[in-house]
Amino acid sequence: MSATGLMVFFRRSFLHLESRILQAIGFNNRAVVPALAVQGPGIFPQPHRNEETEEHSFLDNIFWMAAPKKRRTIEINRCRRRNPQKLIQTKTNIEPCSECGNLKQKHVLCGFCYEKVRRETAIIRGQIQAQEGKPLNNPAVETVVLYEGEMPADTDAGKRIVERKRQRPSWFTQY
Amino acid sequence: MAASCVVGLGVSLARGLVRYAEASRLLAPCRVLPQSCIHTTTALEGNKNWERKNRVLHQPQPPEETRRAAEVYHCRRQIKYSKDKMWYLAKMIRGMTIEQAIAQLEFNDKKGAAIIKEVLLEAQEMAVKSHNVEYKSNLYVAESFSGKGQYLKRIRIHGRGMFGIMDKVYCHYFVKLVEGVAPKEEPRTGFDQAKEYVQQLRNRTIIHSL
Repeated sequence: MSATGLMVFFRRSFLHLESRILQAIGFNNRAVVPALAVQGPGIFPQPHRNEETEEHSFLDNIFWMAAPKKRRTIEINRCRRRNPQKLIQTKTNIEPCSECGNLKQKHVLCGFCYEKVRRETAIIRGQIQAQEGKPLNNPAVETVVLYEGEMPADTDAGKRIVERKRQRPSWFTQY
Repeated sequence: MAASCVVGLGVSLARGLVRYAEASRLLAPCRVLPQSCIHTTTALEGNKNWERKNRVLHQPQPPEETRRAAEVYHCRRQIKYSKDKMWYLAKMIRGMTIEQAIAQLEFNDKKGAAIIKEVLLEAQEMAVKSHNVEYKSNLYVAESFSGKGQYLKRIRIHGRGMFGIMDKVYCHYFVKLVEGVAPKEEPRTGFDQAKEYVQQLRNRTIIHSL
């Protein structure tokens, strides 16, 4: 081990350390090395062709975007897609309706019964519309729906009467 | 003389072949036969194997054997839905009784649920009408899965003059109903699956070795 060799080694290691420190700060050599010792406006960059600089910055932005490093294998994809959190839960609140026997959810009205009532009310509404003729023509009295063979009672004295040509359905109680 | 002999032999051979073909019904329209089909499908038609499974005729069973359970195979093709999304619904109803499956699908909000419910009801009707099933509720879902249908391709325009090819996805849905009660399956733990995997690795044989 000669003295000159040692000196060379120490100098090189010091320079390397310096460059590493500068790199850590963010001062990269590539901007500095081909440097011109010119003063004045010569060293300031000319502001020309904005599209070019924009394109450079656009590419620079892309350079630091997150991107997948490796393709996700089908095994990993299956683990994610099929874990119990993503599978459909079976519902435990389905029961048969006591009126019609179709299935219904416990906290929701039976769909079949609702549909049945909706159809009858649609027909009644159609008849009311026919009676009134034009829109916003309803009289300022109550309405009574009477089915086949029913007479208006004493309490229905001044009310508007809607006739339906069928037997009274069991679910539409009169009183 | 030798040439005429050879020609005669050739003609008789051809006639024999034709007679054999007619006897084995090779020349009959292929859609009717499950076996011995000449390939007549085009690339656009796809495999229709699931529909053919209903035509399988088993041998008559000896009296002491337990009665083979009735099976119904049904499917619907080219459903306008994704096969991955359909898979979740198919997975949900695997192993359920048909009544349970129909109940779950009725109150599910997905688009595929209504389609699968229709398929199950059709299959139930088929089972009772033509597959000798006595009680329509005595069926369970043995197999249920979705497959990829034939996609249409469209162009999806991106910015900067780029374009991508968009797939209009279609799927098939297959179901097999079996008469009787579903066999009770033990839930497989992760430990069991790991053990099976290791056993599979151990069962491998090295070919072309000493």
